[in-house]
Amino acid sequence: MRRLGAPVLALYTGLAAAGLIAALAVGRVEAVALATPFVLALLAGATLGRDPELEVRLAVDRSRAVEGETLTATLELFSPVGIDRLDVLLLLPEVAVVDGGAARAVSLRKGERRAIELELRPESWSALEIGPVLCRVGDVLGMRSWAGELGERQFVRVYPREETLRSLVPPLETQVFAGNRVARTKGEGIEFADLRAWQSGDRQRHVNWRASARRGALWVNEQHPERNSDLVLFIDSYVDARGTGSVSGTNERAVRAAATLAHGYLDHKDRVGLIGFGGYLTWLVPATGLRQLYAIVDTLIESDIVHSYARRGFTVIPRRTLPPKALVVALTPFLDERVVNVLLDLRARGYDLVVVDVSPLDLVAPESPLEELADRLWRLSRDALRWRYEQAGVPVVTWREDAPLAVPIEEVMTYRRLARPA
Amino acid sequence: VILAAGAALPYGVVLADSLLRAGRFAPAFAVVGLIGGVLLALALVFGAPWLLGWSLLIAGAVYIGVLEARGSGVDGTAPLVATGLFLCAELARWSFDMRVRISGDELLIARRAGALVGLAIGAAAASTVVVGVTALGAPRDLAWTALGAAAAAGATAVGVWLARR
Repeated sequence: MRRLGAPVLALYTGLAAAGLIAALAVGRVEAVALATPFVLALLAGATLGRDPELEVRLAVDRSRAVEGETLTATLELFSPVGIDRLDVLLLLPEVAVVDGGAARAVSLRKGERRAIELELRPESWSALEIGPVLCRVGDVLGMRSWAGELGERQFVRVYPREETLRSLVPPLETQVFAGNRVARTKGEGIEFADLRAWQSGDRQRHVNWRASARRGALWVNEQHPERNSDLVLFIDSYVDARGTGSVSGTNERAVRAAATLAHGYLDHKDRVGLIGFGGYLTWLVPATGLRQLYAIVDTLIESDIVHSYARRGFTVIPRRTLPPKALVVALTPFLDERVVNVLLDLRARGYDLVVVDVSPLDLVAPESPLEELADRLWRLSRDALRWRYEQAGVPVVTWREDAPLAVPIEEVMTYRRLARPA
Repeated sequence: VILAAGAALPYGVVLADSLLRAGRFAPAFAVVGLIGGVLLALALVFGAPWLLGWSLLIAGAVYIGVLEARGSGVDGTAPLVATGLFLCAELARWSFDMRVRISGDELLIARRAGALVGLAIGAAAASTVVVGVTALGAPRDLAWTALGAAAAAGATAVGVWLARR
């Protein structure tokens, strides 16, 4: 631990010296009397203070949590020589809130071991870095103090809270692997698709005897096979409109939506991949299973907004990340022209594209007439952008802070019922 | 706020006592004392120790100045004045420390209060001894002056040694 500067020592030394020198100058003992308490305090500081010996261990009860859950961080303090006053401050990122504050003051007797438990509540998903512990040791009068960073850093992965979804957007095309989705094509399956006349090679079990009796010839049932589908989550990480207070920023909501969708589709045995399109390109090749869910969420919580002026297009995305017939769900605040172009490029290449506009409109509050005018122009330009997408047959739905994610998902399904894309 | 008020109280008492004894010089000393009071208020509001130092220095100067102006003998209330100014300094420092809200043991407050009271009593006793020895008629020759200078240098050295240790 390093010794801290002590303004009180300079102050008291100055006052004591001034008193004694004044006494010499004016020849009055009262000046000596005035200086005496400060000299005494300096002597007390010299005798009371001793170099501290302190051990700090930091432990967190879990390494994974969901945002809003409570974590317990335990600080174990030990001093073989005793400490008159010990202030400890657990260094935490802004997203973590501690009941009663992250700082505590204690005193330790010689050889005493003490544990302090702090209840942490991460208010947003993140790769949380807890610690080290900032310690300040002082004597009982606060004359001298030492400070240092002790305790090992602890890492906790805070996963985004998931929204409740009753239904998911079905992809237009399914893949060739078995899954939970009814394919549009006909083949071996459970769901009834159609009737057709018997052909050589048809199995007897497929004969529809009731239809055959009515028509006087053999007719067989056709079924839709159960297949899986591919979902690619496309996250725009170029720009983030940050929220204030309890209002979430656009990236925060996009990650929450992506985690929710990934969980939902993986539950349906679909393959889910991820593309983080921004200053850094991050991707995960579509795969299925619980392991993929953790991989996606881990990638999401480590994703960050990285500003970049580099012009990037569709070509930088690895080919295996975007399988043919995949449903691409883009989560974007529509704040960067490059993402707009890439998404239109994707649609032009025949991908089944859905755009969820993680709207930043709620985060903007114009305060002057000029700002109001700019705000109106901006909203008009966003409407024009949506119109461009709709012309390309892409459903664009807006997800606002105060609405559940199910609302834009239902909007997409309604759009698809009414306007089937080519 | 309580500690800051506690710091301002002995300061005000010391100043008021000095001014009451100042007689016809009271207005001049009142102006200087007012400056000291303002500096103390600023120190307490902004948590500035150096302003505290200047305000204490002014209060001490006013007290010594009043004694010099009156030309009286040894003042018997000097230990009380010294203890008052010391309490002002310590309570002000404590109020600076309490600006950062840290939840902790009640025991810490009790221990600091106990240490402060003990130190104040010790300061009063030491000042009384100093004043008492002089009142008993200690010789005022060159040797004692040299000893006083050595004491001043020693006190400064203790402070410097503590600061560097």
